[in-house]
Amino acid sequence: MNTQELRKIGKQVRKEIFKFKTKSGAGHLHSCLSCVDILVSLYYDHDTYFNHQNDMMLFSKAHGSPSVYPILADLGYFDRKELGKYCTPEGILKLHSDSTIPGCYFVGGSLGNGIGYAAGLAYAREKNIFVLLGDAELYEGSVWETLFFIAHHKLNNLHIIVDRNGLGILGATEELLKLEPIDEKFKSFGFDVKVVDGHNYDELRSAFASKPKVPNIVIANTIKGKGVSYMENIWQYHTIIPKDKDLIKQGLGELS
Amino acid sequence: MAQREVFISTLFEKAKLDKDIYLLSVDMGAVSLDIWRDELPDQFIAMGISEQNAINVAAGLSATGKKVYVYFMACWVARCFEQIRYSCAMGKNPITILGAGPALGYSPAGPAHSPVEDIAYMRSLAGIEIYSPACDRIAEGLVDLTINEPKLRYIRLERSYPKVMDKVYSDKNIDNTFLSKGIHIIKENSNVLNQDLCIISSGYMLGRAFEIAEKLELQGLGVSIIDLFKINSIDDKYLLEKIKNYDTIVTIEEQFLSGGLGSFVCEILADSRMQKEILRIGLPNKYIFDNGSRDHLLDSNNLSVNDILSMIMSFISKKTHKSMELIY
Repeated sequence: MNTQELRKIGKQVRKEIFKFKTKSGAGHLHSCLSCVDILVSLYYDHDTYFNHQNDMMLFSKAHGSPSVYPILADLGYFDRKELGKYCTPEGILKLHSDSTIPGCYFVGGSLGNGIGYAAGLAYAREKNIFVLLGDAELYEGSVWETLFFIAHHKLNNLHIIVDRNGLGILGATEELLKLEPIDEKFKSFGFDVKVVDGHNYDELRSAFASKPKVPNIVIANTIKGKGVSYMENIWQYHTIIPKDKDLIKQGLGELS
Repeated sequence: MAQREVFISTLFEKAKLDKDIYLLSVDMGAVSLDIWRDELPDQFIAMGISEQNAINVAAGLSATGKKVYVYFMACWVARCFEQIRYSCAMGKNPITILGAGPALGYSPAGPAHSPVEDIAYMRSLAGIEIYSPACDRIAEGLVDLTINEPKLRYIRLERSYPKVMDKVYSDKNIDNTFLSKGIHIIKENSNVLNQDLCIISSGYMLGRAFEIAEKLELQGLGVSIIDLFKINSIDDKYLLEKIKNYDTIVTIEEQFLSGGLGSFVCEILADSRMQKEILRIGLPNKYIFDNGSRDHLLDSNNLSVNDILSMIMSFISKKTHKSMELIY
C-alpha cells in the first residue's frame, strides 16, 4: 500500500475515533490521535514486518488503545457497528482494551506493566510481540526493571514502540520531569533504537522494514491530538473530549 | 529441612519430566535451587531484584502455557501487589507465588522483612488461594496441586516450624482433595459432652496452639485444634460441621487482626448465620522493631503461651458471667 493510500486510511481512522469518542464522551481522545499513524502503518503497510494474523500487538498505553478499534473492525475482528456502541452496556469495546476484545491480548489500564507481560510472552519465543508504550509511561520503574530483562535475554522478537507525544497529563514531559535523552538511555541497554516522525508513513515503513537482530525500540515522535487543530499539542486536552457542537463540527471537517 | 527446599526439590523432579515448568527467582537462593540451575538451566530464570517485572514476566509466560513459579521472600508480595492483581488476577494468568519466611519468620531482620498483614491483602484478590503449610509434607503435597490444577496461588513457606507438626501429618494422605479442602482437624475432642473450645490457627502458631490446648485440658476444658492451612475457597461446610458443637472459637494468628485468618473465619460464620463466641488473637497493630528471635518477638508481643492462655480464660470467664446473668 502506498503512502497516499495509508494517509487516507489514517484520516478515516481518526475520523471514526473522533466520532465514537465525541458520541460517548469517554476516554482519552487526545492520546488516541497521536498513535493512529503508527498503527495504520503496522496493520496496513505490508512492507512493515508486523503481521496482525500471527503477531500480537499489546497496548501498554491502553488509554490510547481505542485507536485500534476502527482498524480491527475494518479487518473483520468484529462488526463495525461496535464502534457506535463504544463504552455502552451493549458494546464490547471499552475505554481500555482488554483480552475480551477480538484482536486484543492483555487487560489494559495499569501503566508500566504491559512491557513486562510482553517480555514474558516473548521469552517463550513463539511469536513476535509488539508493545506500544506512552512516553510518560517511561516514568514507571517497572518499565526499567523489564528493560534489563529484555536486554539480558536478547528478546529480539519483542518490538517496543514509544508514542513520544511529549505530553503528560500536566504538560510537557521535558518541563515537568525530564525524560530525554530517551534514545541514549535505550542505546545504553544495547537496543537497536530508531527515532522517527510518527506521522510520516515513509519513515515508519523504513523503521519497520526489517526485523533487528537485537532488542529494539522505535521512538515515534508524535503530536497529541494530531489532526484536530485546536487540540494539537494542547496539554489540557488529555482527558477532555470536545462537547461543543461547533468544535465537533470543526473537528470532523478537519478529519474529512 | 526448610519448606522451600522440600517444595523446590519436589518440583525439580517434576520439572525434569515437564519442560513447561519454570522457576523464576527474584534473587533468592536455596540449596535445591543450585541443583536446578545446574541441571535445568533452561527452566530457571534469574530475575534480579525486580519483583514487579518478575510477576509481569511470569504472567506473560503463563499466557503461553507455561507453569510458572515465582520465588522470593514473603514480604515482597506487597511490593508487586499491583502486578499480582493486574497481570495475574485480572488477566487470569495462574501462577504460583512462593513466599519464604511469612510473618516474623525472618526475625531478627526487622519489620520490613516481616509481612504481618500479607494474608489480609493477598486474600482480597479475586480467585487467589493462599496456603500456609504447617510442615514439609504439606509443602511437598502442594507441588502436585499447583502443577495439575492451575490457579493463582500464594504459598507461604516456613523457614522452620514446630517439630510436632511432622508427627501430626506423618500418616496423613495429603492429596489434592485434602489440600483443596483447606482444613485439617489436628486434635479432636471426641467427648461430645465436653466440647468447650475450638482453636483455629495455622503455620508456625500451631506449635503454641498445642501447648495452650494441653494447659486448657488440665483445667478440665474440652479442646480441639484445627489447622486452617488454606485461606479462600475452602470447604466451608466441613469447617462448620467440625466447629458447630463448640461454644467458643479461638483464632490464633501471627498477623494483624484486621483481615487475617480470624476475620476469614468470622466471615464464614456470619455468612452461614452460625452464632459463636469468637476470640480473635493476633499481633498488636504496630510494626515490631524489637531485636530477637521469632519466639522472643512473639513472646514479647502478646503471643506468649501464657498471654494467650490468660486472654482465653478471661474471655471464657466473662462469657460464663454473661450466661449466668441470662439465667437469672
